[in-house]
Amino acid sequence: MSHALKIAGASKAFDGRPALRRASFACDWGEVHALLGENGAGKSTLMNVACGLYAPDEGTIAVDGQPAAITAPADAARLGIGMVHQHYKLVKRFTVAENIVLACRSALGVRRPRDAAEAVASKAAEVGFDIDPDAVVGDLSIAEQQRVEILKVLLLGARILILDEPTSVLTDQESVAALSFMRRLAEDGHAVVLITHKLREVIGYSSRVTVMRGGETVLAGAETAGMDAETLARTMVGEEGEMAERHARTLGEVRLRVEELSVRGAGGIGVEDVGFAVRGGEIYGIAGVGGNGQQELADALTGLRPPARGRIAIDDDEMAGRDVPAFRRRGMRAVPADRFRTGLLAELAVYENHGVTGVPAGEYGNPALVRRGAMKAAAAGAIDAYNIQGAAPATLSRLLSGGNAQKLLLARELRGEASVLIAHSPTRGLDVSACRTVHDLLQGAADAGTACVLISEDLEEVLSLSTTIAVISRGRLVGEFAAGEVSRAEIGRLMLGHA
Amino acid sequence: MLSPIYLVPRQQAPLWMRAATFVGGIALGLLIAFGILIAYGVSAGQIVNEFIVYVFLDLNGLAQVVTASTPLVFVGLAAAAALKLKFWNIGVEGQMWLGCIAATGVALFDIGPEFFRLPLMFIAAAIAGACWIGIPAFLKLRFRVNEIITSLLLTYVAYQLVQHLLFGPWHDPGSAFPNSRHYDEGIERLARLGWGSSHTGIWIALGAGALLWFTMARSRLGFYMDAIGANVEAARAAGIPVVLTTAFAAAMSGGLAGVAGAGLAAGQEYRMTLFIAGGYTFSGIVIAFIGRFRPVPVIITAFVVGGVYTAGDTLKVFYQLPAAITTLIEAVILLTFVVVEFFSRYRLSWGVREHA
Repeated sequence: MSHALKIAGASKAFDGRPALRRASFACDWGEVHALLGENGAGKSTLMNVACGLYAPDEGTIAVDGQPAAITAPADAARLGIGMVHQHYKLVKRFTVAENIVLACRSALGVRRPRDAAEAVASKAAEVGFDIDPDAVVGDLSIAEQQRVEILKVLLLGARILILDEPTSVLTDQESVAALSFMRRLAEDGHAVVLITHKLREVIGYSSRVTVMRGGETVLAGAETAGMDAETLARTMVGEEGEMAERHARTLGEVRLRVEELSVRGAGGIGVEDVGFAVRGGEIYGIAGVGGNGQQELADALTGLRPPARGRIAIDDDEMAGRDVPAFRRRGMRAVPADRFRTGLLAELAVYENHGVTGVPAGEYGNPALVRRGAMKAAAAGAIDAYNIQGAAPATLSRLLSGGNAQKLLLARELRGEASVLIAHSPTRGLDVSACRTVHDLLQGAADAGTACVLISEDLEEVLSLSTTIAVISRGRLVGEFAAGEVSRAEIGRLMLGHA
Repeated sequence: MLSPIYLVPRQQAPLWMRAATFVGGIALGLLIAFGILIAYGVSAGQIVNEFIVYVFLDLNGLAQVVTASTPLVFVGLAAAAALKLKFWNIGVEGQMWLGCIAATGVALFDIGPEFFRLPLMFIAAAIAGACWIGIPAFLKLRFRVNEIITSLLLTYVAYQLVQHLLFGPWHDPGSAFPNSRHYDEGIERLARLGWGSSHTGIWIALGAGALLWFTMARSRLGFYMDAIGANVEAARAAGIPVVLTTAFAAAMSGGLAGVAGAGLAAGQEYRMTLFIAGGYTFSGIVIAFIGRFRPVPVIITAFVVGGVYTAGDTLKVFYQLPAAITTLIEAVILLTFVVVEFFSRYRLSWGVREHA
């Protein structure tokens, strides 16, 4: 029997940074095939190639044994490939039927929502969904909206169904229902690809599993039966690699103390009763899968979001509830996760970005006037010192590459005396050499006596840099270890909620 | 099948390109507007006469342009000061009314010594305008109420207030119309320049422009405004006092609008009437947008729009064109400018998709 979907030797780079390196994938009709990997392992990129959203730099795709040229989503749809993305593509104010007509007008052969309602209702009944075609999508629960997305894909004639992290926004009961439904679809002869990083789902619901790491396929289509969480976790996060040099540092006094901290979440999980202390010279690594409260924690530690409860002390000064200028006056410095959203001012020049934190602190002039000349001179010095390529002081910062933008950000934040440095995913999206530079800079800050907090989804990074390693899961710190006293697999299990 | 066309962002636009975009956008807009006028039956020769010869090449016409431009400079600067950091002041007219009320109050009740009466009228107008925008600014910064709605609606409140005063306590008994008493000559009126209807208000307007330029380019407040306008979240994370800066910028905006109202009353009408502030919100936003919220191009744009106002008046009277013709031309210039500006940031690329 030929494979339902087969991808071979797929490579894809964004901005010169490889996201896929000769990755391969094959799944069969009638199976739920799990695609497992950490964030950024290339799972979604690979499947986006299959459904025509990305054109691979190299590689071939075959559907049902036939070579397929997929250059646009329409090609994929014609070949019966449908994907339910992590972020639903539904118009909230439209009804279910209207949304479906919007997406599948030609497939259904109808123009008006009224005519589609019948087709929608019968398809829903066929697959066992209880959905009212006239319900407004915005009034539906997330799980129901997901069913609308699945219906859309099925009505488009999909026989190969790709679901990207379908349970990440569902409750446990909803997850069980959704996963059982996927099993039923497979029993009906569909091929179902389940992109996930949850081991429980892989073991419980898939018949075979492909594991990706760093853009490569590290385990191709192994039978799930008989696999245990331990083996899977180790395959996913890799063997103990060569560790970056971690210097021995003399740790100073506690400079950052967090006690019983709770932060309300922005829609998702918040932070629940978190406590830890970081000493000068220490890098305190917080590992975890994205969306487990990291953003809320970083926001609270930098003064952007007032905590609901608890204490944050910098050098024994109570900071909880105070604003960013107060945190910065106490020497707090931050590298935010999204460098062009909360870090840099993309439409302003390099020198303005370099000087922007200094001005409120009293640098570059007086309260009335700013001295842009001094700002430019300081930026020119930083461009040399940090080797920021492609930049002059007057260059717009949006023209910098990711690595150089991050160097600019670090040059600004590491200027002067820093008591505490909060770095959130500081190497996300960077190439290898830029990663190294960022890591060296973080170590340098710690060497200078700064208390560093490194919040990262990159386990490698946390393990290689941190003096102390904690794991965040569902908004709580679920473990704290001294470096070298914990195995990668142990951390992996805690990250995935398999304590 | 049609070959796809992609929009590719351009690199940093050099100064000459930005200048060419500015001039080209306005010129193209005027050309399209002339096309509409020709469709209305005005001949090309007449357009050249009305728009160029009698407006910009004739001393009397030019004096009229200066007079028409004076309030436009103020409202353009007012809109720019707020829009710079994405605070949508849609209530410029309301603040003008308040400025007008404050100045008229000072004049009618002879507050302060005579030599200081005129400056006091303008100071009172600036404070009144700033207070009027203070309401939407406070509601936005404290309770996140949308300032577009509140500033717009407060315009109508201000106009009701003006009507109350002009039909009631401030009504000039010697007039059958709802006007206030005239301002005292030589004390409460802006001096003429001795050139058509132009008056010293233009110097105040240009002075305000210079002050705003200095604030934006050189002061810490201006630097904060730049940062907040570019990315408010990153500005907050960098420790910039977003609330205070926004409040200051809004107050500058309202204050400038208030002064615009006082200038119209003290420079042209010499009293408060029901028709002083009409239509200036729209013009202010058009001018601020075309000037990219920078004082120097805003002032230049204000003079171009002042020319359109002047020519539009003639067209209304002598060619029986509808009164909306001025607004129409302004709108066409704005739309053209926005399109031209877009293509100065992006270029079209036919053919193969360039992967990001």
